Amino acid sequence: MASTAKTDPEEHKREDEENAPAADDEDTGAQVAPIVKLEEVAVSTGEEDEDPILDLKAKLYRFDKEGNQWKERGVGSVKLLKHKVSGKVRLVMRQSKTLKICANHLVLPTMTVQEHAGNDKSCVWHATDFADGELKEEMFCIRFASVENCKSFMEMVQEVAESQGKKEENKDATATADLLEKLTVEESKTDGKEPEEKAAASEDKEEDAAATEEKAKTEDEPASKA
Amino acid sequence: MALPNQQTVDYPSFKLVIVGDGGTGKTTFVKRHLTGEFEKKYEPTIGVEVHPLDFFTNCGKIRFYCWDTAGQEKFGGLRDGYYIHGQCAIIMFDVTARLTYKNVPTWHRDLCRVCENIPIVLCGNKVDVKNRQVKAKQVTFHRKKNLQYYEISAKSNYNFEKPFLYLARKLAGDANLHFVESPALAPPEVHIDLAAQQQHEAELAAAASQPLPDDDDDAFE
Repeated sequence: MASTAKTDPEEHKREDEENAPAADDEDTGAQVAPIVKLEEVAVSTGEEDEDPILDLKAKLYRFDKEGNQWKERGVGSVKLLKHKVSGKVRLVMRQSKTLKICANHLVLPTMTVQEHAGNDKSCVWHATDFADGELKEEMFCIRFASVENCKSFMEMVQEVAESQGKKEENKDATATADLLEKLTVEESKTDGKEPEEKAAASEDKEEDAAATEEKAKTEDEPASKA
Repeated sequence: MALPNQQTVDYPSFKLVIVGDGGTGKTTFVKRHLTGEFEKKYEPTIGVEVHPLDFFTNCGKIRFYCWDTAGQEKFGGLRDGYYIHGQCAIIMFDVTARLTYKNVPTWHRDLCRVCENIPIVLCGNKVDVKNRQVKAKQVTFHRKKNLQYYEISAKSNYNFEKPFLYLARKLAGDANLHFVESPALAPPEVHIDLAAQQQHEAELAAAASQPLPDDDDDAFE
């Protein structure tokens, strides 16, 4: 076990900090017969299709509405993960050592991060969280080791939320542009001019039309809200 | 082992018995693992509380049914009746209260009468406190009785995963077993309407003015 301790850099840090005896991990336990046989399994983090765009050490709290107080949720790494295909970004935080999930939710265009009134290394937000595998309304507060880290986190979340919002807007804009283009193409079609261009345009058109329809469905509500 | 009204699971599970004097931090330790919170308030456990606690390892998911027993004699309930079919155990004492260490042999004896040859971890809790009454070198009981010993702090999370890791390794007979990242499933799409968003923001503004429980403590492990 001594060899595994050496490969863990945090092990050293803690020993220094706590001034623990050198034989911290010495096994003094009795020889007991194992009661299960476990086979090694393939491990999946669920983060394989995403790229981290932020990764910071932090302490997370959740707000307990009943007790009207913040309660600790975990200490570990908070990450913003961007999906390689969809471009969606989510926040995932894991508890250090046990690597369990303390927070897991999408960064939506509606997400706003506010400063915590009493602590300039902390900020708060609301999320529909999926850490336990079921959706729960949560208010989170996160505390960083420095004011700078807190600032980078807030800025990055803000940026992501805005860009996700823009993406939706862009979808709207593209949809409108496509519709206009379709009209123009159809007009020019009746004119019988520029057959080459028309062919290329109508090829695009088919794809766009399908996308437009789909977008029109999903964008309906946010559009009416604005 | 699950209670009759508790759901069973399709992955390995173990009955873990947690004993030790009242106020040594058994319930706080379990709660820390369950929700992440650190409960400062002392509320003695009456009889026993059983909590399932899952871990992800390189050998799959495992579960400990934590039998968090009453430390105070007057609330002891069935006492060693709770130990039956225990497959592993934690004996907890408080390094800031000498008497709690003196009582460890009694807890150990009672435990071993019911559960023979199970892996046991002795935990000296509250090592974050400056004024210790029991120093690391004074802890010798585990050597005599072949227990594993860890200095832990439920408050600072120092070594807080070690007791479970040790027990899991012993129960599976695999010294290389370790915790791995549990899969972070893709959160489903949610739609937040304007009314809900305004309500959230109002609640958030109120919450943002509440102090953090450990504002003064700047150290992360």
